[in-house]
Amino acid sequence: MIVCVAVVGHQNNPLYIQSFTEADDALKLHHVVHCSLDVVDERVNNPKKSGPMLNETYLGLLYPTENYKVYGYLTNTKVKFILVTTDLDVKDADVRNFFRRFHAAYVDAVSNPFHVPGKKITSRTFAERVSTIVKAFGLSSAG
Amino acid sequence: MGREVSESCVESLLIEMVSSYCNRFYADKPELAARRIEAIGYQVGHQLSERYTMERPRFIDHLEAIKFICKDFWSEIFKKQIDNLKTNHRGTFVLQDNRFRWLSRMSIESSPETTGSSQDGEDKAAQAMSMHLYFPCGIIRGALSNLGIPCAVSADISHLPACSFVIRIKA
Repeated sequence: MIVCVAVVGHQNNPLYIQSFTEADDALKLHHVVHCSLDVVDERVNNPKKSGPMLNETYLGLLYPTENYKVYGYLTNTKVKFILVTTDLDVKDADVRNFFRRFHAAYVDAVSNPFHVPGKKITSRTFAERVSTIVKAFGLSSAG
Repeated sequence: MGREVSESCVESLLIEMVSSYCNRFYADKPELAARRIEAIGYQVGHQLSERYTMERPRFIDHLEAIKFICKDFWSEIFKKQIDNLKTNHRGTFVLQDNRFRWLSRMSIESSPETTGSSQDGEDKAAQAMSMHLYFPCGIIRGALSNLGIPCAVSADISHLPACSFVIRIKA
């Protein structure tokens, strides 16, 4: 299950962050997202480790914590997408697919002429679309 | 698939936008009109670059981003690529389009009067033409800025409908 997704701008400013848990742990999840930004920077600045996947937008598993797995995605325009999940056994293809759809939703949201670049995304349509994508995550593999 | 827009509608809209800014909103301040038109282009370029770079790996250097502008970005907007790219390898790039779409159906109004005023008319026509180039300049600047390359873009008409865009990357 996805517990949190976030969009972070190129100056590490939060553009959109949403948690999907019943419990009151939004702060903890925000902290996890915050920590992941350093890992993204590290990945991008020391690309040797990535090897053949050099400069791919999908960054893969950023780091596992005791309860969560954090995945990252960095667009050409230096916008970061972060995904926090509690699933232990996640298929890479599912995560890629998730980020692709998330990115598409983001592009549509920022193409709104009333959206101010660099400001938080407040669009309700975007929020609804994201929660649909989050709900659909992993359904294909779970059957 | 994406929704499509009639090309003639887009061209009419652009012409109308330029004429509204130049003749109505800022009739006596052409510099201000130019700045406003460029700003609109900037926003458009900013948004388009986000969309068109979706499925590709990140660019490693400036040249790669400029090549993207010349090839994929230009084809998406104008259905053709830039014809010639020149660079001095020190941050200046010249993109030449031999048949720039937004100028291809434009004609310079030749004044039928005496030779004295024809020079004057030509200057006026060139100025009107250059007003139409602030929008594409803004698009290029917006796209590159969004890709992390701050720059200044100017346009230069040698002979119609050829047009070249000069990109100067800020160090």
